[in-house]
Amino acid sequence: MTGGPGTAGTGAGRSRRAVLAATAASTALLAVAGCKGVGALATPPSPAPDVGLLRAAIAAEEVMIARYDAVIAGSPGLAADLRPLRAEHRRHRAELRSRLIVPPGSAETAAPSPAATRSGPAAPGAGGVPSAQGAAISFLQEAERAAAAALLRQLTAVSPSLAQLMASVAAAEATHVAALAAVGSSGHA
Amino acid sequence: MTGISARRQPLAAAEISALQAALAAEHAAAYGYGVVGAHLTGHALATARADWVAHQVARDSLESMLQSAGATPVAAAAAYRLPQRVHGTAAAIALAVTLENRVTAAYLGLVAATRPTLRKFGAREVVAAAIRAASWRGHTVAFPGFPAGAVMPPKAARGQSGHGRTPPPSG
Repeated sequence: MTGGPGTAGTGAGRSRRAVLAATAASTALLAVAGCKGVGALATPPSPAPDVGLLRAAIAAEEVMIARYDAVIAGSPGLAADLRPLRAEHRRHRAELRSRLIVPPGSAETAAPSPAATRSGPAAPGAGGVPSAQGAAISFLQEAERAAAAALLRQLTAVSPSLAQLMASVAAAEATHVAALAAVGSSGHA
Repeated sequence: MTGISARRQPLAAAEISALQAALAAEHAAAYGYGVVGAHLTGHALATARADWVAHQVARDSLESMLQSAGATPVAAAAAYRLPQRVHGTAAAIALAVTLENRVTAAYLGLVAATRPTLRKFGAREVVAAAIRAASWRGHTVAFPGFPAGAVMPPKAARGQSGHGRTPPPSG
């Protein structure tokens, strides 16, 4: 749920996370020791500014995956074309999760459920997905467009490194719109 | 001249060099698309021409941004060594993919700029180049602009990444 070690799955992701977590932890300790003395230990460190937007981006990927799940379930004939796109969203989610480093004991440690923070036409697992294939494809295209636009809007509020990831994810989602158009027309040139 | 934004705060050295890197990639793309177009016909040629124009427009924007920041835009080389030999349609399309991948990566560098206008411009061009690349490639990638290995490899998704839903238009 929170992208902890149990969900890491790959050695590279795990080891990088370990390094980053160690860095974050020692930075927090230095900050606490240097600024306020012992009294500051009573206050949980506040999360980095990126954390809220990162959580929102992870939640948005959860929603996109759920939408693909719903369309694939309702239109099995589209599954072969849609699974690769869904797989890319899963990779987005994994990479975004790997960037989520919350200081232990901070107020943000308890992760809100992705469904609680999302806002969009269809909740995960909800029956908001059109059943007709053409309408379902249009629905996914609109969702991809909106997801890309949301990431691009937040770009200037995050760190350079996260901005690069978010721009790349937004670009992937923009390419999904065109890829879905090819699925919708079913017979590509 | 008008230079409102230019006068206020000089661009940081890192921002200048990110702009120059993007401009160099655009110069290379403009050259490369000439080669690409020479091997294409019909719809693919029209697409290549449209993409070439898009690169020219982006190049003009970059040059103007650099000039208003007081920097001298890098010049195009007289010729570029192509990353691959181009004989025929498939190789031309592969070259177009390579050019767009490089442009995408260069603009991703600009996204790291702290100045919001530069970051937004970079992101817009990342999206545009990724769309062109996917169109030539015939399928999408999860992380446009990132070198392979810079992000988590696919895990459960492995085996689906090399799909190629739409074969490239071959003539």
